[in-house]
Amino acid sequence: MPLSLEAKGITKAFPGVLANDHVDFQLEKGKIHALLGENGAGKTTLMNILYGLYRPDEGQIFVDGTSVRLNSPNDAIKLGIGMVHQHFMLVPVMTVAENMMLGTESVKKGTGWWGPLSFLDRRRVEKDTRHLSEKYNLNVDPTIPVHMLPVGVQQRVEILKALYRKADILILDEPTAVLTPQEAEELFVIMRSLRDQGVSIIFITHKLKEVFAVADRITVMRAGKVVGHTTPAEATESLLASMMVGREVLLTVKKGPAHPTETVLDVQDLQVKDERGLLAVRNATFQVRQGEVLGIAGVQGNGQTELVEALTGLRKPEAGHVLMAGNDITNDSPRKILETGVSHIPEDRRKRGLVLSYSIADNMVLCTYYKPPFARGVIMFQEAINAQAKRLVKEFDVRAPSIYTQAGTLSGGNQQKVIVARELSRPYNLLVAAQPTRGLDVGSIEFIHKRVIEQRDAGHAVLLVSAELDEILSLSDRVAVMYKGEIIGVVPIEEATRENIGLLMAGITTEKEVTHA
Amino acid sequence: MPEKQGWAWGDWLENVAVPILAVITALLVGAVVIWSVGGNPLVAYKGMLDGAFLKKRAFTETLVATTPYIFLGLAVAFGFKCGLFNIGAEGQFYMGELAAVWVAYNFQTWPAYIHLPAAMLAGIIAGAFWSAIAGYLRGAFGAHEVITTIMLNYIAIYLAAFLVGMKGPMRDPRASVPQTRPIANSAILPRLNELPAIMQHPAVRVGWAIVFAVSVYFLLKWWFAKRVTSIRRKQAYSGIIALLVGVALFIGLAHLTALGGPFTDPADRLHLGFFLALLTSVFVWWLLNKTTIGFEVRTVGANPDAAEYAGISIIRNFVIAMGISGALSGLAGAVEVLGLQRMLKSFFSAGYGFDSIAVALLAKNDPFGIIASGFLFGAMRNGADLMELRSGVSKYVIGVVQALVLLFVAAPVIIRWLYRIKERRGEKIVITRGWGK
Repeated sequence: MPLSLEAKGITKAFPGVLANDHVDFQLEKGKIHALLGENGAGKTTLMNILYGLYRPDEGQIFVDGTSVRLNSPNDAIKLGIGMVHQHFMLVPVMTVAENMMLGTESVKKGTGWWGPLSFLDRRRVEKDTRHLSEKYNLNVDPTIPVHMLPVGVQQRVEILKALYRKADILILDEPTAVLTPQEAEELFVIMRSLRDQGVSIIFITHKLKEVFAVADRITVMRAGKVVGHTTPAEATESLLASMMVGREVLLTVKKGPAHPTETVLDVQDLQVKDERGLLAVRNATFQVRQGEVLGIAGVQGNGQTELVEALTGLRKPEAGHVLMAGNDITNDSPRKILETGVSHIPEDRRKRGLVLSYSIADNMVLCTYYKPPFARGVIMFQEAINAQAKRLVKEFDVRAPSIYTQAGTLSGGNQQKVIVARELSRPYNLLVAAQPTRGLDVGSIEFIHKRVIEQRDAGHAVLLVSAELDEILSLSDRVAVMYKGEIIGVVPIEEATRENIGLLMAGITTEKEVTHA
Repeated sequence: MPEKQGWAWGDWLENVAVPILAVITALLVGAVVIWSVGGNPLVAYKGMLDGAFLKKRAFTETLVATTPYIFLGLAVAFGFKCGLFNIGAEGQFYMGELAAVWVAYNFQTWPAYIHLPAAMLAGIIAGAFWSAIAGYLRGAFGAHEVITTIMLNYIAIYLAAFLVGMKGPMRDPRASVPQTRPIANSAILPRLNELPAIMQHPAVRVGWAIVFAVSVYFLLKWWFAKRVTSIRRKQAYSGIIALLVGVALFIGLAHLTALGGPFTDPADRLHLGFFLALLTSVFVWWLLNKTTIGFEVRTVGANPDAAEYAGISIIRNFVIAMGISGALSGLAGAVEVLGLQRMLKSFFSAGYGFDSIAVALLAKNDPFGIIASGFLFGAMRNGADLMELRSGVSKYVIGVVQALVLLFVAAPVIIRWLYRIKERRGEKIVITRGWGK
């Protein structure tokens, strides 16, 4: 089988880390090659090298058998390498066709008086886009502004953009993170069709099920090294997981039945607006009881963010009530709400959860710095802060050179552990965990899931908001589904399946499946 | 791995070497500028050096010029720590001067130990009030502090011009130029050459001896805290040493202040304000790093989203940080009036407030670094006159050198590239991000 892309002995060191250590990687023509690995395993570094963003310290890259030097993404694009980033690089107000031509505008000469000028040739780009879209069954209308398209289609626009630049090697960086299970299925269909027409695809992911659904070859990386090549036929999920982590991993959380008691959080008819002033949460009503996990499922951007922010005081609700243990906290300040016993693992750990320029120790007291023993009056006691950090780093297995290490230099998993340690180490009644394992590796996910169940069993109320259906299904005792700001159904875990929750996530309700709690 | 606190070689390179190299580079480029306008750079820089350090009284004059730079640099830095760009130091400085001088020339009957602190406090409050307006406008309405502080600068500067000007209510009617009445003796912040006379009074000596002894006691207790375990021994050691210091000062202060140099030279203008500036640096460092106030201010500055999440009020901290920043500027004005000018002349501040933005940036907002960068700016300002005299190059060339320093500090990439200094945290790559969440 001819190789379309080969990396030989790629080594890349950053100060203090060997991000890639003699990595060999071979992409065969017309295959889907999954690249699996924990966060910090070096997948992203390798892809950035292949896309020309980093230069390797050692090693060679071959495209179609010839050795190449990639000094910038432009070089990569010229060689037919296209990348679809996790965060879309599209201009929302422009049409699909206009996004296609960004950077490679095709022009036509003016006629007559307009001779000296050149004009954008929209029509030609639209025609070309339509043609490409039909060829690969992408089903995209080039005349629609991008912001009016659903997320799944926007992703197809990104793929189309790469194809428009004549890419025959596609790098997809965690493409399913923003999709519903059904949309992910559609993406897989497209990936297979691209493959069948000769496009080679590198598929970066940490979700094992997807690897089996779509990949032809699998390469697993750990700690900067390639630990193995295999195929879906030879591998099993638990084998891949242990290759990624380097030890046996429990893929499913062991948990007993819940023993819910009193209601802790009572949300009544909550209405919340988003930044644009549109209603993002409509008439949300639900309760969370002590000793149970209520999972809120839903595709990202259906009001979960606004809901969590309203519950924690970070956003003022328009109407409705939030009661904590019977007390109305609807319009209280974030500090007042924290002090009623709400712990919050925020969905964006780098934006909300941590001060990246602070040490681990200072981040561990971000919410309690003003209380004894960390401070008396205005005077802070660094010794007490450090002592607490040392204890928590050990207890929560945060891997860092020291407690003085800047939080921004930690891997995603360790950053999340710092937040989880902080939020679980102060007294609380309700844990609000928003996307607690987003972007984390299997090992960290296992750790955090175990902690969440421990908290439930210790009698705390847990509100879990997650876009990962597997996470919702394995942790929750009841599943509420949010769609376009509404809770369109609450399903007890015994009746929840991937299929019926997936349908609800897509907004399809049939009376039979929904039982209102 | 061994545990190591922040300080490391890389930090040193980043925080000390780059600013120093920026200054050297600015001087080199400045030499080209001097040469291109027909001057001899060597003569010019020698003149500046003599004017700043070597001539008689040059060094203490440099310290006199350094004093407002330290206060104002601290003021600007405090704003930066909260993510605020306080361009209003100049205006707050004026307000501090106005308030301090007003208190200082009125209330002639007050005793010095009330009048002097009251005048300083008036300056602090006026400066704090002036900048807190901008802080509140930013926090409550989102009006950007860069705009509001510039506007408040104009108001303050012209308010001062009106109050002290030709028909102004604060003008001294007997003076031929627009200026206020001289301040009362009870409100002066002494120059070193005024100390011997003041120290003749035993009561003053007792007062100072007690102040020093008490501070020494607490400093020692803190120093012993980690080294001596027994509380009783800790207190005993500290107490004995503090007592000795107190007694020694009581006996020695009169002699100490008659030693000569700036203490007895009647034309020397070094005043206690400089030492107050040094103490203020320590205080600001402590406030920023050891108190909840500083923690909140820094958190809001480093990541307002995380601050909000942690229950820290952003509006409140904008007002607090701007208030403290303005208080420091106001104190600078008070010290300048009470220690150096002893009256307020119309339009005399001459841009200390604007230079201090560069002072803070050069020091990377570090309170101790500001002492060094304030000293550099003080030396350049003080040396400029002799440079002009000796080389015939306009002293405003110094402004060019200062601007170059700022340019190189603000764009460290140039310095890194010139001297092949590698950046610490690996390659940084900024990719334009999509709007997806």
